[in-house]
Amino acid sequence: MVDIELKRERIVIRYKDKKWDWILEPRYWRNAILWTLVLLIFPAVCYFVSPGLINTMINANIYAAIAIPLGLMTIGTGRMNFGPNFYIGVGGYTAALLSIAYGWGPLMTLPFAIFFTLVSALIFSPLVIIARGLYYVLLTLLLPLVFLEVTFIYSDTFKGDTGLFGIVPLVDTGNAKINFLLVAYLSLAIMIGYLWVINKVLKSRYGLIMATINDDEDVAHGIGVNINKVKIISFVAAAGMIGVMGWFYAHYFSSFAGITYLPLTFMLKILLVMMIGGRAQIFGCVVGGYFVAFLETLLIRHLGPIQPIVFPVILMIFLFALPEGLFGIWRKRRYREYLPTLHVRR
Amino acid sequence: METLIHYLEHILIYGFVLGAIYLLISLGFSLICGVLRIFHLGYAYIFPVTVYGAWMFMKELGWGLFPSLVGMVIIQFILAWIIYKGIVKRYLEREEIQLTGLLLVALIVEQVANYFYPVQEAVYLNTTLRDGTLTIGSVVIPWQLLLGGVVSIIMTGLFILFFLKTKEGMAVRAISQNIYTSEIVGINVEVLYVFIMMLVLLPVIIGMLLVAPIWNVEPGMGWLYQTTAILVAVLGGLGNIKGTILASFLIGITHAIMCFVLGEPRFMNLSALVLVMVILIIRPQGLARSESIW
Repeated sequence: MVDIELKRERIVIRYKDKKWDWILEPRYWRNAILWTLVLLIFPAVCYFVSPGLINTMINANIYAAIAIPLGLMTIGTGRMNFGPNFYIGVGGYTAALLSIAYGWGPLMTLPFAIFFTLVSALIFSPLVIIARGLYYVLLTLLLPLVFLEVTFIYSDTFKGDTGLFGIVPLVDTGNAKINFLLVAYLSLAIMIGYLWVINKVLKSRYGLIMATINDDEDVAHGIGVNINKVKIISFVAAAGMIGVMGWFYAHYFSSFAGITYLPLTFMLKILLVMMIGGRAQIFGCVVGGYFVAFLETLLIRHLGPIQPIVFPVILMIFLFALPEGLFGIWRKRRYREYLPTLHVRR
Repeated sequence: METLIHYLEHILIYGFVLGAIYLLISLGFSLICGVLRIFHLGYAYIFPVTVYGAWMFMKELGWGLFPSLVGMVIIQFILAWIIYKGIVKRYLEREEIQLTGLLLVALIVEQVANYFYPVQEAVYLNTTLRDGTLTIGSVVIPWQLLLGGVVSIIMTGLFILFFLKTKEGMAVRAISQNIYTSEIVGINVEVLYVFIMMLVLLPVIIGMLLVAPIWNVEPGMGWLYQTTAILVAVLGGLGNIKGTILASFLIGITHAIMCFVLGEPRFMNLSALVLVMVILIIRPQGLARSESIW
């Protein structure tokens, strides 16, 4: 029997020997709700004021929705994955190939995109056990490059150089502006969904176990944590979430090209979203996603051909100037709860 | 039997030549990994700076080839010093920032090269040592590649002699084994770090100049060469010169087999990547022990 108990600042739900706490204290959720409202209003305002910004917001949501699971993967495995774009490739190509071959819509291709991403992640999941430190960085860095090579070699199937076209669009109302608006809300829903789920996971007992693994695997093993199980679950689950964004890309643009998402440059952008946002802090990933996407748009609009040089220079300045990322500026004025740090060398 | 000899000739000669050039490309990367103990993900910047730096002096200032090359080497040294002081040393304990920063350096250099000299500019450095081809048995090979292979072997030999026979080389080996003990015995680690950052540029610059007249030159070429350098260095065991030599020729032979035996040059890169992944899974430390550079 489920037992619900209302306390002063929280709701406690008990079922058999399990217990869940739901904190009602306003200071815990006020900011989150306010920011969610701002993000919900933003596309609607842009629709009337500057429709071009809706596209930028979609990009920002996608960057954040890739970086948030990457943050979970980084903390849960205690390793820096330098090749998250491999799973974007798997999810995107699965959706694209199925959509083109059978004319399937996004709802039909989604389960397959998730399934194939999970399977590929499961195949490569032993890496989180056998490789560590720089070797892990290298192996994960190589995976998307191997995939890119495959897309070139089997160009008949993957169209590695030009990309696959003719994928059923994500939304088709007959009005391009409304399509953009709906896609913006969908991307926002996915991003906020990821944020909510992963925040819950990281705040739970399971998240504490992940943080322990991130801090010191040997100690975690010593206190009885099944580190291999936790690492594989966080790796595969996060990869699955990243794969969904590949599916999103494929149906959003109605085309998918490995050369756009699999090279180092795209990976670097995601890495910067994570690093500039807040060093793998999941709320920081949202800040980073919006910062990178809007900065890129701003520079493209105002600087023209010199933008590709100025953009990485500005990102580099932010990378060096903010030791805890943009989110760290806000956190410095707040209660400093424990947050796991990034590790590469170990 | 004739077919077998034909294949063997191609594998041996092209395996040697390609392996030797890969060795030039990756020797610097391996040494940085071995001595500085960092994963230099910005290594790709050296390649475009070599070609486009020299081209800039030739085109903008009207210098001859040799003075332009000297100017380019000076620019490379200054850049290496800035990168060491600004990123490598400063973020030695924060590798996530260091690696991302180094990647950004390579990206910025690529974009700068692309802005001033896009592909349409048809940048060409006439660093050909000898035109034409040489026929050995059934193998036809460009002189430039063959001479590149020979230069690579001489260069590697000089590096090995430096590390084994000179006092400075011994100091570098000591640092690669233990930094703190090296400091205790009076080695100036800081100076040697900067020295290594500059020394490793030489094989890369020479390698790039040798292949520039015959291989594709474009602003993004650094990433491809960096991938090769990473593959070789990791396959050999990060920072070990013996392993790097072995791995270079192993990848060279793999590429030669793909091209001349299987007749599938498009599988070249994939085969090397798969080879490295398989070996790393079986032997995560690479082919050679990587506690020391030799």
